[in-house]
Amino acid sequence: MDWRVERLTQGLLTVFLVITLSFVIIRFMPGNPMDYILAQMSGDATGATSGEGGASGSDMEQQYELVQAYLSMNPSDPLHVAYFDYMSNTLRGDLGQSIYYSRPVSDILGRAMPWTLFVLSWGLAIGFVLGIITGSLIAYWEGSKLDVGLTAYSVIMGSIPYYVLALLLIVYMAYRWQIFPTNGRVPEGVTAGLNWPFIKGIIYHASLPIASTVVFSGIASLSMRGNAIRVLGEDYLRVARLRGLSDGVIATQYVARNAILPLYTGLMISIGSLFGGSVILETIFRYRGMGYYLVQAANARDYPLMMGGFMLLTICVVIALFITDLTYGLIDPRAGDENREAF
Amino acid sequence: MTAADPDRSMPRADDPIAEVRNLTVAFEMDRGQSRVVDDLSVDIERGEILGVVGESGSGKSMFASSLMDAVVEPGVASGDVTYHPPSGESVDVLELSKGELQELRWEEVAMVFQGAMSSFNPVRTIRDHFVETLSAHDYNVSDGLERARELISDLYMDPERVLSSYPHELSGGMSQRVLIALSLILDPELLVMDEPTAALDLLMQRSIISLLDGIQEKHDLSIVFITHDLPLVAGLADRIAVMYAFEMVEMGPTDELLTDAAHPYTRALLNSTPNLRAPIDRMRSIDGESPDPVNIPSGCSYHPRCPMADEQCREVDPEPYRVDGDHAANCHYWEEAAEAVPAVTEEFDDAGEMGAAATERTPERRSGEPVLSMDDVEVYFEQESSAFSLFSDPDDVKAVDGIDLDVYDEDVVVLVGESGCGKTTLGKTAIGLQRPTGGVVEYRGQDVWQARDLVGDIDIPYEEIRQSLQIIHQDPGSALNTHRRVRAVLETPLKRWYPELDGNDRRERILGMLEYVGMTPPEDYIDRYPFQLSGGEMQRIALIRALLINPELILADEAVSALDVSLRVEMMDLLLELQDTFDTSYLFISHNLANARYITEKADGRIGVMYLGELVEIGSPERIINDPKHPYTQALRWATPELDPDDDPGERPMRKIDIPDAANPPSGCRYHTRCPEAREACRHQRPELVEAEGEEPGYQQAACFREYEDHEYWDSEPITDEDDADSVDSGTGPGTAEADD
Ligand code: SF4
Ligand code: SF4
Repeated sequence: MDWRVERLTQGLLTVFLVITLSFVIIRFMPGNPMDYILAQMSGDATGATSGEGGASGSDMEQQYELVQAYLSMNPSDPLHVAYFDYMSNTLRGDLGQSIYYSRPVSDILGRAMPWTLFVLSWGLAIGFVLGIITGSLIAYWEGSKLDVGLTAYSVIMGSIPYYVLALLLIVYMAYRWQIFPTNGRVPEGVTAGLNWPFIKGIIYHASLPIASTVVFSGIASLSMRGNAIRVLGEDYLRVARLRGLSDGVIATQYVARNAILPLYTGLMISIGSLFGGSVILETIFRYRGMGYYLVQAANARDYPLMMGGFMLLTICVVIALFITDLTYGLIDPRAGDENREAF
Repeated sequence: MTAADPDRSMPRADDPIAEVRNLTVAFEMDRGQSRVVDDLSVDIERGEILGVVGESGSGKSMFASSLMDAVVEPGVASGDVTYHPPSGESVDVLELSKGELQELRWEEVAMVFQGAMSSFNPVRTIRDHFVETLSAHDYNVSDGLERARELISDLYMDPERVLSSYPHELSGGMSQRVLIALSLILDPELLVMDEPTAALDLLMQRSIISLLDGIQEKHDLSIVFITHDLPLVAGLADRIAVMYAFEMVEMGPTDELLTDAAHPYTRALLNSTPNLRAPIDRMRSIDGESPDPVNIPSGCSYHPRCPMADEQCREVDPEPYRVDGDHAANCHYWEEAAEAVPAVTEEFDDAGEMGAAATERTPERRSGEPVLSMDDVEVYFEQESSAFSLFSDPDDVKAVDGIDLDVYDEDVVVLVGESGCGKTTLGKTAIGLQRPTGGVVEYRGQDVWQARDLVGDIDIPYEEIRQSLQIIHQDPGSALNTHRRVRAVLETPLKRWYPELDGNDRRERILGMLEYVGMTPPEDYIDRYPFQLSGGEMQRIALIRALLINPELILADEAVSALDVSLRVEMMDLLLELQDTFDTSYLFISHNLANARYITEKADGRIGVMYLGELVEIGSPERIINDPKHPYTQALRWATPELDPDDDPGERPMRKIDIPDAANPPSGCRYHTRCPEAREACRHQRPELVEAEGEEPGYQQAACFREYEDHEYWDSEPITDEDDADSVDSGTGPGTAEADD
């Protein structure tokens, strides 16, 4: 069986489990969203019809329908019907209605997601490239002053939590020196579209969040340094030199390619925490991405939005992992060949 | 070094392709300067195969690297290495600029390394390796690839398949051959091979050696073949140079060197090398150890170990003395060496058949209740190891497939076979470290795994079985915890199995054992850490650890193969001596038929030959060595080189070089894809072990239809390679690692 299909199935299974989990939470957890919304509704209803003694049967019906609209699930339905409904709605992209914003959750998150992906992917890409470059430099000049300096830089970068860096950045770069904006994601007063001022504004607004993600480069460069030094000691490198290969071929095809492989694995591992980190990052910079809305929703007890955000983030992680997994096969031919038993 | 005195000069080549003069390779270390090659001079004749033999740490690899100025930093090579191209000007290799070196390396002088597996870039295909080499030297790529194809098929591989493979898809033997092809791609004049077969099985070694002869002729090569294994080059090299303590101590034509060695070290080395013919009771190890490169003894560097050493030896470093013609030895007293260190093979011719003393032992002693009995044991490994796999079709590797074997009191059984034949797995199953997927393993009549799982009536508790079955690992260094002193290592088993002993008793016992195995003074050794011990000493500690708990059976997994040649015989003797004292039985695992012969013949044991998970032949050493019945045993016999210059390996008694994929073994008799005697019947039916014809029962059994009186085999058509889809080795499947050793 092709391992790609296997990975895909694993991914789909994870998504399925996440949706199911969110159904279970909504439906069964004590103080679960459904109860909460019901309580709110009946509270409102009681308030509105005070003096007329409790909610009538038709009111209950109405409330259930409202809950259905918010949570894609009717509390009066039997379990399997509710589950089936919930599943099919979710898979169709109907994540319910946000209580706080009174808009469909899918609409809110759909608009927010590209921004999150934009910041994360650039942060990751810049961090990765920066890490590879500094790591290679340190490995090449191992033991020199540059090694000491860059290693110190990488250790510090690698050990600062990204949110601390984010706070420092926003305090100094945005509030004190006002080089960058303190919040938002698009410039004001510029027509949206493919024009330079608008694009410039977007980059300008995204700079600080991206810069905070770049701490990743510290870890990357440290591991790159180690890998490159290890590769430099490999037999095949010695043989390649004896075969007279040019320094360019050796640096790119031999050292870099082999040193990047483990880095790529590291990247896969950190994808989850990167997405998780976006929640804090976007809140600090008040950058309206998925993470930002997730926090907003939590604060406002906007369960539909929260569940939707949670689900979408997980799915993003699964997809990102799947992509890295697939591309790993392109850079390492050994991927997919399971190690055989040694006997 | 002077060459003025004709009697005291090294042999000169008439038409040298390379001349090495006063070569020194030094490393600066904290402890002082380490000279890993010390003032070495040698000529390499154009068109010859020069075998350079030395034990590990003799400096032979450094010598090899110097020939193309490739000594790894921070080593510094000094002296002269002059390379004479067929036409044009001679160059001093050590003086070349970077650009000139690049032209010399691979175009004129190429090199093959030991670890072929790690000599390739894992993320590039084999074709890329050829192409990048060709273009780096501005050769025509398509012509070059044509040459590559030819080279690869000359080495019995399928060119297209190999070229499009990634390195990890090749087995060890294949990647070694591909590396040879890669080294020849630019048509060099001189090929330096540094232990090119050391990591391979005997069969593959011998196959490659027999291919080398043809390759050398076809491409008009001069070859320097560096090895620790004297018999291996005996049949190949024109001349042999022996290295000891960072210099050449003797040099001469192969036959003269083997029959008339003039240096005491060479003679001792020959005597200590296990082989199939020399009488075993006369083999000797060399006492002492090779010197430390920081601290080379004054005068003759061999004097601390030489039985003839005197004042002159201690003070004056011997120059080469001309023995005769091209034969020279660096020994003041070479004329007396033959007498002082007599060759073990000398009286051998009179003795006629080898090991006459042992032949008449009977299998009777292997009666009574076996210590260990295995009945139809199977061990299958599932191939997919990913925990998540939802759809893997379980493609089992049948590591051990239906083996019966009994081991008796004071018995010795040696399992031999190629990597991946399942010998290690069978060994581990025997001592209860590996749970069989089928069949029964019994210790003195008690099913080991039932005792373990507490099923049925248990006569012998599992704890006791565990204590009775012990193991000594191949690599003593990794088996010992580096942070624990010898005392701590040895006390652990004592505490566990003999809680009644107090600290003093334990110490006494350990001291006694240390002394017993020759580690004196024991008080000095007991507080050492493993890194303060030599390989042989570590192996002894591991042995003591196993013996301290009085086991009934010890599994020794390649226990001597990690040791230097000169120490092996000693270690094997010690093992056998301890057997007498402690009444243990041994199950040895070895890939080396010569070692197996040595130990079984001394102990009157049996050799079991395994192939792809099956036991194909088992019998007393004299039968297995002298009259192997199974064609595979015959191939192993062929693969075991003799210390004999006339030892012409002859035709390879196999149709294919590479071993089939163990995950997908051939049907019928598993050897039929390589067996020269295979017939159609062998494809479909599986032969059982039967008593060899013309033998008393119990001496020899083989699993081959040729031992069946009448069988449809005799009437069926021979299988020839034309019948098979590909006459060239299609090789093993992807990812088949030689993982056994
Ligand atoms: S020179 Fe002396 S010590 Fe050296 S090998 Fe000859 S006899 Fe032995
Ligand atoms: S049974 Fe056939 S294939 Fe197998 S070893 Fe004997 S002759 Fe060869």
